Amino acid sequence: MKRPIFSNWSITSVTRKTALAELLKLFSFQKTTEELLLTALETREQAEPTIVHNGIAMPHCRSILVDDFMIAVGKSEKGIPWPGKKVKIIILFITPVKPSGPEEHMKLIKHLAKLLRTDGAEKLLKADSPIEAASILHFTLQESKQNEQRP
Amino acid sequence: MNKDLERLISLHDLDVMISDLQNKDIQKQEKKLGLSPAAAVVELKKMRSELSLLITRRNRDMYDQLASHYGNAVVPVIHERCSGCFTQLPTAFVASPDRNKRVETCPACGRFIYWCD
Repeated sequence: MKRPIFSNWSITSVTRKTALAELLKLFSFQKTTEELLLTALETREQAEPTIVHNGIAMPHCRSILVDDFMIAVGKSEKGIPWPGKKVKIIILFITPVKPSGPEEHMKLIKHLAKLLRTDGAEKLLKADSPIEAASILHFTLQESKQNEQRP
Repeated sequence: MNKDLERLISLHDLDVMISDLQNKDIQKQEKKLGLSPAAAVVELKKMRSELSLLITRRNRDMYDQLASHYGNAVVPVIHERCSGCFTQLPTAFVASPDRNKRVETCPACGRFIYWCD
């Protein structure tokens, strides 16, 4: 599953919501789209925090606002209160709503579950760079559009 | 974007989330990750009720009718077509500067439509 992912290896946010917003910025969506996706991800977290391993959260949803897989991985050295536990690694993904149903969404969750349940979670927490993190997750790191726009 | 339209999109995404978490295969994978999809569904349904009350009665009722009929009540306009029924939308409709500032429906299928500007 060599999907492209974006990364922010130095998240500065100190709350869950702002950390999600910081990662969403990597995709360079329009403001309203970004806000609606943030609402969807935060709603899911409010229903049940998606902490999948000690120090790792996996906020995710399917949305009609995206037409392709949107995956980002982020790291916070200090850790982000989620809100009860501290999260250092965030694997965020949004998958499109397709007429074929949630098959691809399920496959991605399955792929990540398999990796994290073996030794992927520990490797990810020790990863020194986003390239290493992408490699652990079997993804391909992509330059953020946000970074591309910088002079 | 029109506030009601934003809420309709959020309601649609929330319905997708609830539906996904009730899907047995997804439930299985989420449980493997240590998550509790059943508990999340209970909370999401409460949030859905709260959100739907913020939508005007007319649009809320229409959403429920469309969702039960088509499965999806809100769709994006892609290449000037309703992505629900693929009908080409009238030029005047597409060219309107106020698109997304009003709640619009596809003249053919009646689904709520929005533009990904």
